[in-house]
Amino acid sequence: MKPFTAFFCKELTELKRTGKLWILILIFVLFGIMNPAIAKLIPWMLETFADSFAESGITLTEMTVDAMTSWTQFYKNIPMALIIFFLLFGNIMTGEYQKGTLIPILTKGLPRRHIVTAKTLAMLLTWTGCYWLCYGITYAYNSWFWDNSVYPHPAFAALCPYVLGIWLLSLLMLMSTVFETGSSVTVSAGVVFIAAYLLSMIPKIQDYLPARLLNPAGILQGIQKPEDYLAALGICLMLSLGNLMLSVILFNKK
Amino acid sequence: MDMLTLSHVSKAFGKHQILNDLSFSVPEHSIFGFIGQNGAGKTTTMKLVLGLLKNDSGQILVNGEPVTYGQNCTNRYIGYLPDVPEFYGFLTPAEYLKLMGRIAKMPEAKIDARSRRLLDLVGLGGVTKRIHGFSRGMKQRLGIAQALLGHPRLLICDEPTSALDPAGRKEILDILSSIKEETTVLFSTHILSDVERICDEIALLHQGRIAFHGTLESLHHYRSDLAQEECLETSAPIGGTGFEIEFIRPEDTRLFASCYGEGKPVSRTGLMYEGRTEKDMLDAIGLIAARHIPIRKIEMCEPTLEHLFLKITEKTDLPR
Repeated sequence: MKPFTAFFCKELTELKRTGKLWILILIFVLFGIMNPAIAKLIPWMLETFADSFAESGITLTEMTVDAMTSWTQFYKNIPMALIIFFLLFGNIMTGEYQKGTLIPILTKGLPRRHIVTAKTLAMLLTWTGCYWLCYGITYAYNSWFWDNSVYPHPAFAALCPYVLGIWLLSLLMLMSTVFETGSSVTVSAGVVFIAAYLLSMIPKIQDYLPARLLNPAGILQGIQKPEDYLAALGICLMLSLGNLMLSVILFNKK
Repeated sequence: MDMLTLSHVSKAFGKHQILNDLSFSVPEHSIFGFIGQNGAGKTTTMKLVLGLLKNDSGQILVNGEPVTYGQNCTNRYIGYLPDVPEFYGFLTPAEYLKLMGRIAKMPEAKIDARSRRLLDLVGLGGVTKRIHGFSRGMKQRLGIAQALLGHPRLLICDEPTSALDPAGRKEILDILSSIKEETTVLFSTHILSDVERICDEIALLHQGRIAFHGTLESLHHYRSDLAQEECLETSAPIGGTGFEIEFIRPEDTRLFASCYGEGKPVSRTGLMYEGRTEKDMLDAIGLIAARHIPIRKIEMCEPTLEHLFLKITEKTDLPR
């Protein structure tokens, strides 16, 4: 077995045995179920609170609940899912710095770039599996209760936050090669994301920024086309690759 | 052949000069004690040898090949046991050694056989629980096993016995002693009794330089030379290291003291005569025989390594 493969398998074993993998699967499965469940429960909740709304002067008209309601909930839950992911993976490198567990690995001759690449790949596989599991559950329930076929490009729309997640993971890895503590890594990556989000309010550049990918519900509603997101997707992937390369360079100097 | 050679190595962290023109070498198949006070630069020296830090000047050779910072090719000759070793707690010892063997590109069959042998050697054979449940001593022993996995030519141990109880320290020192034929051992410590127990050679690191380098025997001769120098400087008579007598009964102790002279009591039945020579001890033996005083033992005192260490560091302290 090659050294890279051995270290990568160690990362996967760590995810399983420390429970991180099972926690993430559970959370993303719950999200996947919650999206259609909340959509299904909205009419019942509105009916239950109709009287108290009426006392406040709010009149409720009949509301149509369909798959779009569930998909809207799906895209609203993505930021929460990303935050949870960040919190669980924030110390992926810094935890090893603090314990010194990388020292024997490095002295045995494992190239430093393999460490960065293996950890990034482990995070990416976990993100991919959990995200598309959540999407798959939501899609299945939506197909069962309503009809997904009326909405154009659901998979492409789901691809946008997925790629945004990849960029955020690469940012996490980059910050992990700069800072020594998990909290510094999480906060600094969060600051960069918030900056990107704020910049996306500038109309001239918003189509090119990663934050554009956060809520592509417009594609499902037919308001926007997939082509409108291609630039942001491309730039996001390039930024992710750049972050990874910079991580390798910085870690080699550490 | 020297397994490790440092030539005029210097290293500073900011304005703080840790190593200053450091030079020494470690012969093959020896157990080399690298001693110094806390903060003297022992760990820094080891990290330079491993290529984990970059030296400001000088050259380091391992098995005749130069050490480079970063991807260091000479690490294939080295096994390293860090101070306070930490491992992946979710793995068992066998799984951890398998991981390390694969990273070191060892053949699978060889990894299994070597792991079993080393775990038996360090007393962890048959331990199947995960590492997070290990005591400090068990982690230290696993650390030695992982350091020896690839048949290293040079085993570097950073304070392998610190924070262990006496039984644990003895176990570790016995293991290091037993592998001398297979490899060269360089270990750092500030526990001088460990050095006395197993080392062939020692080097004393003080203020960034080697204050002493040689065998334990040469260190004792050095101490005699130091003592003579002191006497010449102070015009005092040249004394010895003294001797100690252990009597059987307290009344014999008092009788001898009244005839020979008062000594320093070390117990109810023991007397220490500091600064006395071998001739003085022979006179004492003659008196004991003449007076028929039974004794348990009489022995010449050797200067402790601690005493020598303090003398050498006093002598080599640079003016502030």
